[in-house]
Amino acid sequence: MARSATSARGGPRERDETDAARGAESPDDQPGPPALAVEGLTKRFGDGDDAVVAVDDVSLRVERGSVVGLLGPNGAGKTTLIKCALGIVIPDAGSVRVFGTDVRDGRRAAYADVDAMLEGARNDYWRLTVRENLRYFATIGGVDPDSVAARHDRLLDRLDLADKADTPVRDLSRGMKQKVSLASVLAGGAELVFLDEPTLGLDVESARTLRAELRRLAAEEGLTIVVSSHDMTTIEAVCDRVVMLSNGRIVADDTVEALLGAAASDAVRVASPDLDAETVDGLRERFEIVGVDREATPPAVTVAAGGDRLYELTDALRAAGVTVSDIRTVQPDLEDVFLERTGTVPDAAGAGLGGESS
Amino acid sequence: MSGGGRPPDASPTAGPATGDEPATGDEPATGDEPATGDEPATGDEPATGDEPRPATYYHLARAVLYREFLIFVRYPANAIGGIVVSLFFFAALFLGGQLLAGQALADSIEGIVVGYFLWTLAVGAYSSVSNDIGSEVQWGTLERHITTPFGFAPVALLKGVAKVVRTFLTSAVILAVMLLATGTRLSLAPVTVVVVAGLSIVSVLGLGFAAGGVTVLYKRIGNWLNLLQFGFVGLISAPVFDLPWTRVLPLAHGSAMLQRVMVDGVRLWEFPLADLALLVAVAVGYLLGGYLVFQYATGRARRLGVLGDY
Repeated sequence: MARSATSARGGPRERDETDAARGAESPDDQPGPPALAVEGLTKRFGDGDDAVVAVDDVSLRVERGSVVGLLGPNGAGKTTLIKCALGIVIPDAGSVRVFGTDVRDGRRAAYADVDAMLEGARNDYWRLTVRENLRYFATIGGVDPDSVAARHDRLLDRLDLADKADTPVRDLSRGMKQKVSLASVLAGGAELVFLDEPTLGLDVESARTLRAELRRLAAEEGLTIVVSSHDMTTIEAVCDRVVMLSNGRIVADDTVEALLGAAASDAVRVASPDLDAETVDGLRERFEIVGVDREATPPAVTVAAGGDRLYELTDALRAAGVTVSDIRTVQPDLEDVFLERTGTVPDAAGAGLGGESS
Repeated sequence: MSGGGRPPDASPTAGPATGDEPATGDEPATGDEPATGDEPATGDEPATGDEPRPATYYHLARAVLYREFLIFVRYPANAIGGIVVSLFFFAALFLGGQLLAGQALADSIEGIVVGYFLWTLAVGAYSSVSNDIGSEVQWGTLERHITTPFGFAPVALLKGVAKVVRTFLTSAVILAVMLLATGTRLSLAPVTVVVVAGLSIVSVLGLGFAAGGVTVLYKRIGNWLNLLQFGFVGLISAPVFDLPWTRVLPLAHGSAMLQRVMVDGVRLWEFPLADLALLVAVAVGYLLGGYLVFQYATGRARRLGVLGDY
């Protein structure tokens, strides 16, 4: 518990940057074990033919003080992964270590430093006031509430809840309830916090405020935050690093900048009614095809064509008799990266993308 | 209270000073210093004045009991509603009985009042625990009690204690009204009544935990388990003299003892040791059994991944 206070001294900003530069690979210069270390985690639900592999051999490290996003569509395994890390779901195989403590063995020790805001849950008592909730859950989280009263005040201040501190949660608006839920999770001073779809159901303004608060809390309190969402905006705004999940597997794991930067890779999107399968195959022999969109009208192909390659591409298009309707450079967002990584273009970019950037 | 403590060796900065530093929290001077977070890690003074201290079981007990107290006083309608409904049922029972049985009822009215008192206690303890678990599952707060560094058992036990205390308060009101309305006189030696009635309903508390556990696994069945409370009538009036084995059922033995306490004025220390031992054994046995069922059910729910499905 002393940890949240102490790590704030360490300058979490600084840590974020080193994390970003380092990626997930070199934890050695970190003092002590990482905030979260997942090894070969597998969880299957159901039996026989109906069995669904929710998490499939996932390994993941989250360094202290970083903000990591878990991105993936519904059913990708984000929530199961989080619940396994919390010990709420027991995995079939693999291990989860929180600050070096195995969640399975040293359950109680691990629990002192981790908390979560799970999707769709209230997480707090609506019949108690905001402050009563913070005090209650701080105690449940293993902290004497009197010793963190000032911290709670600060938390309420930051989340703009100070004047609602003595209001029962049930009387608050939805956005505020969500913030109380977040505050109650942070009240116990957990060092590692999982937030499952934290902006779900919030209006645009509330979601924006919450994102800003998350970013600030992470920096000022030195928290390690794992945010799961299918909302790219949230992830892009809040996280240093993104882990993309699809069908229970990690399909990408890198910094936001690296993923976006690598995906950009001077790609151009060419749209033309003449882009039939044969033409695309012809292009594929000479260029790196990043994406093919046959559904678009007219069909489009995204080609990695930086520098002089662009001239070669236009030559090739002319030679193939392709009349270009539209050509533009691609400014990718995480959504594009995600589509790319989850099979729209199988292995076109592959794992190499992350490597190139670092 | 190691359960609430955090391992001191896990400080993230791992600075030599921070790990050994006692979390005294009584350094007010540092509190004014802004936690800028962009300073180099000096490691020798807290960025904030509120250095957290680990919570002890005392804090835990205070938090859990205080929450129950707050909800009890802030939402008195629930308690009053329960009292009114119980009294209404008793009135129907009493007046209907008078019409049907006349003098026979008048002769056994003491036994009925005592039995009814115990029934309201049992129903209160059972349903508050099982409904509470059901609600906490819905609210997503149950997991937070399971993933506490204290472990779920002390939290559950404290909640159980709070429910029993609360139930005693409301049932005492019901008892008083029943006595006044029927003009019955009973022996109300407080220590004896509280100990015997209390131990009697601890067994029901165990059933409540078991039912709560089943609710975690099979959410729909949970509601049906509420019907079990009508079965308590049978347990309270179990023929423990004709069928001695029924004494090991929840409530039955305690009910017989409570009749002797309140009707015959027997005091706690006047009971044979074997009776008292059986009362304690039944209470502890069912509480432990119920808790194990709960533990098993939540363990299974964790494997099935249904814990925390909303």
